[in-house]
Amino acid sequence: MATEHLTISLNEVLFFFTRAGFGVNAPIGIAEDFARSNMWIAENGFDPSSCSIEALNNLDSQASDLAVDVERSDTQVHFVNPNNVYLSSLIASVSVIDCINIGSRNVELIVKNVDSPLLVIAAMGANQCSDWQAIWLDESNYEYLVNFIEPGVWEMVSSNTQPIELSKGGNMIIRPLVETKKHPANAVLRQFVTIEEKEKILQTGVKVGEHWQGIYDYFSRCLVKSTVESRASGAGAGMVDTD
Amino acid sequence: MMSDSNLSNLSVEFMRPPEQVMRLDRMGSSHQTRLSFMRSLIRRMSRENWKFECLRRDIDSDGFGVSVYAVTTPLRTYSLIAFTQDIPPKKRTDRVIAEVWDATFNLFDGIPTQADIDYLANNTPKQEGGRYRPSELVLARANKSLRVFEHVISTLAKGNQPDIELLSSVGYLMRTTAVYGSGKFGCADRAKIADREECKGAFQIELLAVYLIRWFTIDLAEHLAKKRGGDKAVKFEPHIRQFIGVGNATGLGMAPFLLKHPVLIHNWVMAKESALAKVRSMETPIKGTLEKFTQSLIQVSQHLSEWSVEDEVQTTRIDCLKDEIRSLSQWCSDQINLMKPYPWNGIYQYVEDRFSLECQEMVVSLIIEPHGSLVDDLAETMSSVSTPKLVADMPLSELKEIVKDYYFWATTIDFTLTESQHHFWYYSEDKLEPRFGSRDVDEGSEQEMPLAIGRDAHELNQALLSASDEMLVGEFVLSFPQFRHIIRRIQNTLKRPYSEVQDNLLDETMRPLDLLRFKLAFFGASKFDPKSDLWTRISMYQGAPMPDQLSDPDHDKWFFPVIPKQVI
Repeated sequence: MATEHLTISLNEVLFFFTRAGFGVNAPIGIAEDFARSNMWIAENGFDPSSCSIEALNNLDSQASDLAVDVERSDTQVHFVNPNNVYLSSLIASVSVIDCINIGSRNVELIVKNVDSPLLVIAAMGANQCSDWQAIWLDESNYEYLVNFIEPGVWEMVSSNTQPIELSKGGNMIIRPLVETKKHPANAVLRQFVTIEEKEKILQTGVKVGEHWQGIYDYFSRCLVKSTVESRASGAGAGMVDTD
Repeated sequence: MMSDSNLSNLSVEFMRPPEQVMRLDRMGSSHQTRLSFMRSLIRRMSRENWKFECLRRDIDSDGFGVSVYAVTTPLRTYSLIAFTQDIPPKKRTDRVIAEVWDATFNLFDGIPTQADIDYLANNTPKQEGGRYRPSELVLARANKSLRVFEHVISTLAKGNQPDIELLSSVGYLMRTTAVYGSGKFGCADRAKIADREECKGAFQIELLAVYLIRWFTIDLAEHLAKKRGGDKAVKFEPHIRQFIGVGNATGLGMAPFLLKHPVLIHNWVMAKESALAKVRSMETPIKGTLEKFTQSLIQVSQHLSEWSVEDEVQTTRIDCLKDEIRSLSQWCSDQINLMKPYPWNGIYQYVEDRFSLECQEMVVSLIIEPHGSLVDDLAETMSSVSTPKLVADMPLSELKEIVKDYYFWATTIDFTLTESQHHFWYYSEDKLEPRFGSRDVDEGSEQEMPLAIGRDAHELNQALLSASDEMLVGEFVLSFPQFRHIIRRIQNTLKRPYSEVQDNLLDETMRPLDLLRFKLAFFGASKFDPKSDLWTRISMYQGAPMPDQLSDPDHDKWFFPVIPKQVI
């Protein structure tokens, strides 16, 4: 299962990514949401391990953490890491979704220095967000715009060649969608109808690349070393069964 | 009490509450009902006139090789691909950690090409060690019952029928030791097939694979008998063939499944409890149903006399059950008891007031059984596509009320006692085998699976005591992210009250077996044969019609199977 360039199922994305999140000490509820976001990424034809390995590596190396301060004004809600490290996209994504679900329809959400912006986008997609827009300039100065046009339909606009899953360290602005037509002349627009993309994935499986091994390694932290005793008594049946 | 759009107000009054139903001791006394998944699958096969065909049998005189068995539904074909091999007797284990099996299988979506079979020949015999594609819907394996398999072949080869007592004592020729679907090891995700009419019910595709495996084992035995005996060999008599089920050994893997799918579990239990409530709420019985019920008591008595296990606890329970069914039969023979209004409720109450949980749950099955026209449509409600989401805008005052109303069982457990947290659940690095450890003995409690629902609810309750009622859940989890998962579960329980097992799953006295039996009963299993608190053997499809019997008028009458009267 630790092979590179593997094809896995969506259910395996859920299984392995939940435990990979748990493996870097994210609380299980956050790890579950992280895995759901990764399913959405996979359903839309992307390799979920590409962006998630960065988020997990950051948490593991303490380049990010799960602390988040929320500062509110009449027009904005800011999500900031108080410890001068990256804001982990695992906590940023659930915080943004909770804020949206609480009914913050008339404010902008500012997510500062989040390590893997696509995971925040994925959380919005997985939660069927509609009529929202996210824009960010990442630390490589690449700009991205994502519009959630209606439930299950979204578009991505960028004028650079870096894949969105590799975008890192962005200050994201998330706001109600007012205009979808204004794009720079050289921008590339890709529109996704998630249910159609998912149908293709269900026929082919999810292709994961070189970062899969890292996801699997974090997953493996949830496994308990087998001993002679646990092998004998930890589960039912015998070592030889006849009837 | 919870309501359902299909239930009248009167029926709702007869619903058993979750705190009665979702207790481990009652769950561990479950029996199959006519809503069980195998039962509804067989009815569909019959109703839609599914066609069955052996497409390929490339096996040697010992039965080793590859076979393909296809079933055609109104819209598509599925194929069971079976690989059989010789294995060393000492490597035959029912555990997940097994490395070889007598037979390994895939259920293929369509008819496989030679290239598909070649690919699977390199993977399927390795089971978890192989990789599968979205064209494979199910992965499974089975081991022979050595004494029955050889006995059957040798007797059929000589022109005789097998010893029915031996067949009855085991119940099958092969037992499956795992049946994986829903995206396991690269197989097709459930979402690929969820919209197909024949797959909409719970576990229908997995149980179709098992039905085909049963047919394969019987066909294989007859084929080998013919090879060995030539013209002298005979096939099974049809009633004996029908009496042969397919075995299954079930261990700990099923327990985490139940806890991780609260919506699904609610839907299963809601359907069963709704069926029971519908029947109990009838003031006047439907013509002929009481007679069918009293006849079924006779059949069940025979079934119990044939249900023989080595486990002492289960043996005691079966003995008690025999006595109780006898007492119930006597009570029912007094017509006055059945002529009162609401006779089904009268029967249920009589049993609930006097008899064991094992008997209560068996009688639930028996009183639902004659009411197919009233309850069978509930089988359509037993699957699920929804996943609980956190309701961030719920005030903590409301969350506190839900905890108080639905998790009293958890908040009153003293988790400071060692015995309250004696066990933990974990995945072993050894083939990811799920295991059940003792905290003071086994290593690995730091990697405990998040299945400690009662403990988590208890801890949340403590944290909520000092939190403001006006605060919203979304604000609370910013400060307490460790409670995100349990809050999501608790919020789901408000909508789906049968979703939670209302006992401490870490307690020293906890028996995983109770969870296994609960799930297997919903599948439609019979003759539970516990081998310890951690695993059980069962029989599946015993008494069910074979493919050539699906059009028989009695195709649905195979609950609580008994040795066919033709051979008694």
